[in-house]
Amino acid sequence: MRIYRKLALTLFVWALVLLISFPLVWMVITSVKPQTELFRIPPTWVPETVTFEHYWKLLSETPFLTYFGNSVILSGSTTLFVVALATLGAYSLVRFRYRGRETLATLVLFTYLLPSVVLVIPLYLMMVALGLSNTLFSLVLAYTTFALPYALWLMRSFMDGVPEDLESAALVDGASRMGAFKDIIFPQLLPGIISTALFTFILAWNEYLYALVLVNSDASRPLTTGVMSMLISAFNIEWSLLMAASVMMSVPLIVIFAFLQSYLTSGFGGGAVKG
Amino acid sequence: MTPSPLERRYARLGVLLIAPTIVVFSAVIVYPLIAAIYLSLFSIYTPTLEGEFVGVANYVELLSGTAFWSSLLTTLIWTVGTLTLQIVLGVAMALLLNENIWFRSLARSLVLFPYFLSTVVAVLVWKWLFNDLYGALNHGLMQLGIIDMPLDWLGTMPNAMIGVILVGAWKYFPFVVIAVLARLQTIPEPLYEAARIDGAGPIARFFDVTLPQLRSVLTVIILLRAIWDFKEFDLLYLLTGGGPVTSTQTLALLVYQEAFSLNRMGQASAYAVAMMLVMLVFMIVYIRRTNGREV
Repeated sequence: MRIYRKLALTLFVWALVLLISFPLVWMVITSVKPQTELFRIPPTWVPETVTFEHYWKLLSETPFLTYFGNSVILSGSTTLFVVALATLGAYSLVRFRYRGRETLATLVLFTYLLPSVVLVIPLYLMMVALGLSNTLFSLVLAYTTFALPYALWLMRSFMDGVPEDLESAALVDGASRMGAFKDIIFPQLLPGIISTALFTFILAWNEYLYALVLVNSDASRPLTTGVMSMLISAFNIEWSLLMAASVMMSVPLIVIFAFLQSYLTSGFGGGAVKG
Repeated sequence: MTPSPLERRYARLGVLLIAPTIVVFSAVIVYPLIAAIYLSLFSIYTPTLEGEFVGVANYVELLSGTAFWSSLLTTLIWTVGTLTLQIVLGVAMALLLNENIWFRSLARSLVLFPYFLSTVVAVLVWKWLFNDLYGALNHGLMQLGIIDMPLDWLGTMPNAMIGVILVGAWKYFPFVVIAVLARLQTIPEPLYEAARIDGAGPIARFFDVTLPQLRSVLTVIILLRAIWDFKEFDLLYLLTGGGPVTSTQTLALLVYQEAFSLNRMGQASAYAVAMMLVMLVFMIVYIRRTNGREV
């Protein structure tokens, strides 16, 4: 009786799971169908021929690799910059007592919820004035606006989880605050730092609005706007090429996602969902 | 009590550690925020960036014109629609994924993945699914006998609104799943056993045990997702561009269009500031809740 219930439940849940993942399965299927099969009515649910020509075309005939490189540099530098600031900042917010600390923490949360469209116009004017428009650096600065509050908020909750008495013991033994941070706190905080870095990387990798407004040259376009410009510039939309691009663009995310499994709960809520 | 020298030294170190963050914050968030309010008092032509002071004229136009109000209404329809779906689907899926089934962790990962996907990818995939001639959605529904003719998903109303709400729900409901699932795992089993002894069936157990336990986490999720859905730009801009005409043009899209298509940066800033004021209500409620809980 028990086993039948489990079997029925498993089948039901998996049917739903497959329905939810269908768009992504369809993306992969479309990316390996030859052009001739793509426009058949009704569509073939299982591809008759599997081809990787679209992937090859993507890599050899389009600026995809440039965009990909830009995205790696952009997301990588944003992550390094933001996580370094946020680690020190979170240490300060959680373990030090000074005036304005609570206000500052609230302000961080407030900026975390701020809409990008409010900041994008002044940031655009700022980048033009500084002569930074159309550079990856301008995007790193712009991405800080959402990545820093996010990372700081997340690091704060990881910091809360590091037991305070270890630090106190080190201080009693004569270590300085920064010495205790380096030897005691940092090793304990490392998993938190890594997962914050990965979540920040995903956010930066997926960003669209700032990239749309601040960068208007193929040389420094990241993947998000780059792939969309491939859609617009093509005379007739090459869906299989776009699906191949979508798959390639998601590969780093799949890798990170597999790595992050155990941190999912604390991560994407920004540590903000504490019921 | 006056702080000891050591405490004062620690306080100074604390300030020193947060200082870089404060500097960056001021440069890229606080300054632009003030600049946005300042810009909303000007009339600025985007291509030349030249303009003149016009006082509150932009706000007068905002209040007396129809663009802001109809966009606000669209934003509310989108937010309420997609948020409701996200919550219902999210809670249901979390309950199912909390059950003891085979390959549970794989099922969880697959369900959560759309949330991590780039909106660009999500939109491209769904545009292809929605395609009126070759789209899998129309053909699938036709083969199942649900519709007779292919539907125009994104080009007509109300289909376009239904379409964006669906894609929004698909993309963001995993967030609800993650948060609810985490909370479900902390509900003490004796509560269910006690309910069972009292003769409560599965449905009664859900309403009497699970739901009250989920209430506080659900409030936070709803607030947070309401804020995020309200300000959503990428998904709507890429999927419909606000169309057909302006029927899916939310406030975020209105700001963008005003600034970069109609080239009226001052007016766009006024819209943005007004949008922020509307959001402020939700933000303050959310911040109050989070702070009250943690202190």
